[in-house]
Amino acid sequence: MRVVRLLLVDDEARFVETLSKRLALRGYYVETTCSGAGALELVGAKPFDVVLLDVRMPGMDGLETLCAIQRVQPLIKVILISGDASIGAAVEGMRHGAVDYVLKPSSLDDLLAKVDSAFEKKRLEEEQAGGTPAR
Amino acid sequence: MRIRSLGRLLGRRRWRPVVVRPDTTAALSLSYLAFKDLITSNDEFLELVADIEQRLEGYTAFDTTYVRFRAVACATHVCRMVMCLDTLSSRRYPELDPVFGAIERQIEALLAAPRGTRSSAALIYPLSALDATLSDKVGGKAANAGELANKAHLPVPDGFAVSVDAFAALLAHAHLDHAIRARHTELNCEDVTRFNETSNDLQQLLTHCPVPQEIAAAILEGYDALCARVGFAPRVAVRSSAVGEDGEMSFAGQYTSVLNVGREELIDAYRQVLASLYSAPALFYRTARGIPDDVPMAVLCMMMVEAAASGIACSVNPGAPDSGTLLIAGSWGLGVPTAAGSVSPDSWEVSRDGLAISRAREGSKETSVEARAEGGVRWIGSAIRPAAAFCLSDPQVIELARLVLAAEAHYGSAQEVEWVLDSSGRFSIVQCRPLRIAEQSAWAGGDAATIVAGHRVLLTGVPASAGCASGPVCCLSESDDAGRFPPGAVLVARHSSPAYVRVMRRAAAIVTDIGAAAGHMASLAREFGVPAVLDTRVATATLRADQIVTVDARHGLVYEGAVSSLLAGRPAEPARTMKTTPVYGTLRRVADLIVPLNLLDPNAANFSPGACRTLHDIARFAHEKAFEQMFRMSDHVADVTQKAIRVSERLPFELYVIDIGGGLQPPAGESVTMAEVGSEPMLALLKGMTHPALRWWEPRRVSLAGFLSVATESMMSPQDDANVRRLGERSYAIVAEAYCNFSSRIGYHFAAVDAYCGQSPTRNYVSFRFKGGAADDLRRAKRCELIATILARLDFQVERRGDLVNARLRKFPRQVILDRLDQVGRLLVATRQLDMRMAPRAPVEWFVQAFLAGDYSFDHEEQPGRPTGAERGAP
Repeated sequence: MRVVRLLLVDDEARFVETLSKRLALRGYYVETTCSGAGALELVGAKPFDVVLLDVRMPGMDGLETLCAIQRVQPLIKVILISGDASIGAAVEGMRHGAVDYVLKPSSLDDLLAKVDSAFEKKRLEEEQAGGTPAR
Repeated sequence: MRIRSLGRLLGRRRWRPVVVRPDTTAALSLSYLAFKDLITSNDEFLELVADIEQRLEGYTAFDTTYVRFRAVACATHVCRMVMCLDTLSSRRYPELDPVFGAIERQIEALLAAPRGTRSSAALIYPLSALDATLSDKVGGKAANAGELANKAHLPVPDGFAVSVDAFAALLAHAHLDHAIRARHTELNCEDVTRFNETSNDLQQLLTHCPVPQEIAAAILEGYDALCARVGFAPRVAVRSSAVGEDGEMSFAGQYTSVLNVGREELIDAYRQVLASLYSAPALFYRTARGIPDDVPMAVLCMMMVEAAASGIACSVNPGAPDSGTLLIAGSWGLGVPTAAGSVSPDSWEVSRDGLAISRAREGSKETSVEARAEGGVRWIGSAIRPAAAFCLSDPQVIELARLVLAAEAHYGSAQEVEWVLDSSGRFSIVQCRPLRIAEQSAWAGGDAATIVAGHRVLLTGVPASAGCASGPVCCLSESDDAGRFPPGAVLVARHSSPAYVRVMRRAAAIVTDIGAAAGHMASLAREFGVPAVLDTRVATATLRADQIVTVDARHGLVYEGAVSSLLAGRPAEPARTMKTTPVYGTLRRVADLIVPLNLLDPNAANFSPGACRTLHDIARFAHEKAFEQMFRMSDHVADVTQKAIRVSERLPFELYVIDIGGGLQPPAGESVTMAEVGSEPMLALLKGMTHPALRWWEPRRVSLAGFLSVATESMMSPQDDANVRRLGERSYAIVAEAYCNFSSRIGYHFAAVDAYCGQSPTRNYVSFRFKGGAADDLRRAKRCELIATILARLDFQVERRGDLVNARLRKFPRQVILDRLDQVGRLLVATRQLDMRMAPRAPVEWFVQAFLAGDYSFDHEEQPGRPTGAERGAP
């Protein structure tokens, strides 16, 4: 099983630092950035599997970033993160193609379950696109 | 500019599922993935529903964060199901999404935090401007003080309130809103260390936060105005006045009061009181009571009275609510020790009618609190004060009783009052809140003759909170770790401190050395419904850890051992319930849009998007339709010719499989054998269908009657034309590693099998559908009955309608699923010949037994009820 490559996008520095460390400890490859523009640059330049994207950021907000990422890399799975438990925002995010929606703060195990599930989906979709089933 | 905005417009276009022509393999793969997603989300949604239903029972605590999180999780899962069904069904149900949207918006509206109207955002209110109607602005304590002073015209010390708007402005100015909320949601009552850490963090944030100039100025102005009114510069008591405090819930003693504060220390004292919002006991209290986490906090600054004596009074005696007395407790100096339960006070029971003192109990009053000239307070030992005499004279007690009853009369309900007697002999009421008295009625045990014979009475004390309970003793002091208190134990402590709220949810009963029925902890015990006996003097010295005792809080007795006669009469499960809390109401209303299921019967006319009222309805609809789609899918596949690979095994039909992921080993050529089938469920099915005992390919003696019946049917049913054409045509299966979807028309039967078989039993299922077949009605009905009965014996849930059999097997382990699929494979083939083998009067049970025993010969001669020689050959 190859290492899952995560991109963590959030403007709250303390949160990003803590979370990325904990993810790395669990064996995930993590890069971080604090803005939507930064995220776009990174997904254009390097391969990522799953993006953890904060909904509310100054400048390019979460939804805009989500759509932009999908245009550039349609197979990447995006999980939206929000400190705001708004159903409308969650549903809108899903309708714009986010694969899941996570509230801040949530337990690391819950978050990882969603990350793994998103990665699994991506893998399956890549197989279909590739044609032959990979073992 | 225009191009850019157009680009943005396109960029923000709603994501649409990729619509692929249904007759391509790509469509199948997408459908399969969407289907998998859908059933996963459905499972998780149902678990969320079960969790919500459990909380609605009222025994487990939760707060608004829980409600929000759950609501969002439910909405995202159901949203995903709607989107998956869209893909799966090629947009067959466009009305579903708007219905979902409408429900989702209703839930959102329920959860929207009420934004307080910032119309009149006064920062400071003088006491003269306050009454009960302003409790949203100044909190319960300040509003009640104003109500007592201005409406009930009772003596209340002058002061002013710093409003909740000031608090909000303070938080906004220091950007603390988000930080507080983030830490707050990390709270977990079970992890005591983390809890305390978070509590400390939060308190630190507030104690050191910068106070905006505007607010500091307003506070000092308020103080200066007070000085002008009273003619000198008084010391004040700075007390919490949270919204909701001193109302339905007492919050007794949970927040800090800072006493004897001068002008210079006012701002610091203000911050200190705000910080106590997040003390561990306060946090525990709010979580246990289901109070929404955003508690607006106001502060009351009240002139300090030079107290000769002070204490608490209850307009109904909480220890003996039916006795028609009220209770007064007090001690020298400031009222802190009495309220805090750290002193053994004087107490009086006064009859409400006639105002006569019926009982007076002298307390040891070994410590008292007095104000220091330079600010703050000090605790004095009894050596300095005359500890022998009562702190109130009899006439003073009566006068106080009158005041207390006046307060009760004004509010129309029993009240608990904090009073002060100044050095010139005048009373003031400092605080007032509704008195909570536990239910007495349902309890039948131990009435007049109070002491139960045969059991040793270890202690006597003051009943403070009614009830009766038994458990092992656990001694705790205020500084001890609440986490180590075992559930169901009897809390034994020296003082009756409100800090013990931390363990109230777990304690069977409470016994203390010192304290009064009128005091904060007593209030809390009554609120939580925990029986309490206080002021026993010697509890901590007498009782041993883990000793079993029975606390009879009705009579103030503690027995050795478990006294079953007392415990037997207890009312069912005390109301330690969330049901009376505000947040419960929110969950209830939100749950009404999520949990109830209206769409019960997939065959009923109301099984449609338009009839969906809740998220559960939508999930049910999507789930059912998704299965239907998957069943139909393999039918559509007949048009797909590429990538369909023939299975070269002995089968009564031609089987072609389409692999959508891991279903076949990379095929070498045009066909595969069973050895190359990687799909476990397909393999199991094939094993069954190719079972050696099923000798379908050998010519068997056929009942002429049976044969003719079949032939007649096929000639005379033009509507079965399609079936006839398909006789002997190809059957198709869509396979993946853990999945298969098989449909075929074997002979005159239509059968479809859809199965998922993975490691985890929760996702596993087998769906089986069978319809029709040739032969006359009688045989057809028999056949269906046979199939239905066999499947039921194989643990399927079976539904029969006419000649349609619909069966499902859910959530069994992998091996069981595979075994059942094997049986289904055999069944599919065995029933093929049954048309011609089944004598009309043969009982179905015989065939069932034969099949389950592995005998597929269905030998014509051996059937019971076989036709006699005379009948044979007759058409």
